[in-house]
Amino acid sequence: MANQRNDEPLLIWPKKYNEVPKAVFEMEELWPKELNAIFYGEEWHPIVHHAEIPNPGDYKAAELGEMPIFAVHGEDGEIRVFQNTCTHRGTALITECSGNKKEFECPYHRWLFSPQGELVGCPNSQEFTADFDKKDFSLHQLRSEEFCGLHWVTMSDKTPPLKDYLGESFYEPLGRILGGDGRLKLIGYQKIMYNCNWKAYCDNDGYHAPLLHKAFALLNWQGGKGFQKVTENGHLAFESEIKVPDKVEALKDASVLDFKGTDTSSGSIVLMSFPLTVFSKHMDMLNVRYAFPRGPKGTEVHYAYFTHEDDDDEMIRHRIRQSSNLLGPCGLVSMEDASVFSRIDKGNKTPGNAIFQKGVEDEYKLSFTVKQNDESGNLPRWEHYRKIMGFEREK
Amino acid sequence: MSKISAEIIQKIEQLNRDYICALDALDMPTWLACFNKRGQYTFIAEENYRRNLPIAFMLDDCYERLQDRVTQVVDIQSDSTEHYQTRHFTQLTSVTAPEDGGYRAEFNFSVYYTRRDTNQTQLLCVGRYFDLIDISNACASYIDRKVVTDTNVLPRYIAYPV
Repeated sequence: MANQRNDEPLLIWPKKYNEVPKAVFEMEELWPKELNAIFYGEEWHPIVHHAEIPNPGDYKAAELGEMPIFAVHGEDGEIRVFQNTCTHRGTALITECSGNKKEFECPYHRWLFSPQGELVGCPNSQEFTADFDKKDFSLHQLRSEEFCGLHWVTMSDKTPPLKDYLGESFYEPLGRILGGDGRLKLIGYQKIMYNCNWKAYCDNDGYHAPLLHKAFALLNWQGGKGFQKVTENGHLAFESEIKVPDKVEALKDASVLDFKGTDTSSGSIVLMSFPLTVFSKHMDMLNVRYAFPRGPKGTEVHYAYFTHEDDDDEMIRHRIRQSSNLLGPCGLVSMEDASVFSRIDKGNKTPGNAIFQKGVEDEYKLSFTVKQNDESGNLPRWEHYRKIMGFEREK
Repeated sequence: MSKISAEIIQKIEQLNRDYICALDALDMPTWLACFNKRGQYTFIAEENYRRNLPIAFMLDDCYERLQDRVTQVVDIQSDSTEHYQTRHFTQLTSVTAPEDGGYRAEFNFSVYYTRRDTNQTQLLCVGRYFDLIDISNACASYIDRKVVTDTNVLPRYIAYPV
């Protein structure tokens, strides 16, 4: 392969708005640029819900791009997110994905931090530099905001306030996924590595649902009326009613498909915030899918499931059964998504462009009017990506 | 603790052999036949199990759900799943005296899988089986098989029980 000149752009974007170069899923050179432009740029990333770390000292480790971070519930009740690094020599403080600690001690030189991030102890400090002050060595805290108990972080001071960033068309249904008031309880995780680039993972669309998911037809599960809303900065919201069939012949125990919610008009909500987080409320399942690109290849997804604090025992049991069997990497109605992710990855190792058709009225114009089962709702997201990454369109 | 007879251990080992051979042959009716009418099957991450979080990868908490698991594998997901060949390796580590009408047994397991497209073999998951086994009749059967995988992050989606 010929060496690329320094002034040569990494990628030229197709002239048509409904075409995406397949190379965007495959070029490893894009990853360092994506880290800076997106993961360390002017975007918000959800990290933890209050229900995951409900008690003082509870913590959860995560990554933002390639940077290790952790969220901790302080003794003052506040949840903060820190870089997972000792402010002395950079040793990682947290080595488990979750837990509870009264203090966070670096084992290397025994520097000690409170759950609020303050440096509270460092041996032999009388021999440190003359102007050493513990206050200057608190843990590096990330800018964060909270919505319905969900805490988001951004690396940039320029990122707009969270609600402005998400827009009402996104945060309103997100509030409903998060129980309306954020008073949730964690019931567990399903974690998996998908064998695909992170952009393939979040490129799922409204077109595929009734076609790919064989379970829908077999279960006599017809999609009700619904809509998609898209934002200029790449967020996408699907909402549809659920028509639950009277009888499901294919299953011996159809109770797992029961919809115990009271409002079928919003039985199904799927949200995708840029760059790659999915939130869903299918029937009675309340789900946040934290996603972590593992470099340019591989996307690790942590499906977190919740109940509401007001649920009775029957509803809790129902949510557990439904969440464990319908969604996630082994789920009755979603495993097909998982299989497609790796097929996208394989198939896109070919030249040319991926082409969107369903819902595209004008190939040379970006439209924000999208019907329920269109795939064109993904195009504003791609346009946002193109702009952030600085790719020029073909002349 | 009462002594467990060789005959009982043999039945427990035979039931486990039937179970893993059925899965490696993707013979779902035989997999189902390993459970009795009170049977339950759970495939859960060690992280959830340790933290008392009930979400599982698969949760078949009644015999009808076990039957539906067979339907899911055989009829529903067959055309979209990228099939893989599994090989289960198990080691019986514990059998304890009857309680709750059955014997408690524990196995270590590891499962390798071979993809049909690449023909390469990788580790799918490692963990433990926690069993409650009915040996009241001539044959042993599972009242409960709980599969707790140490592999908290699965390396791929899992289409078949483990």
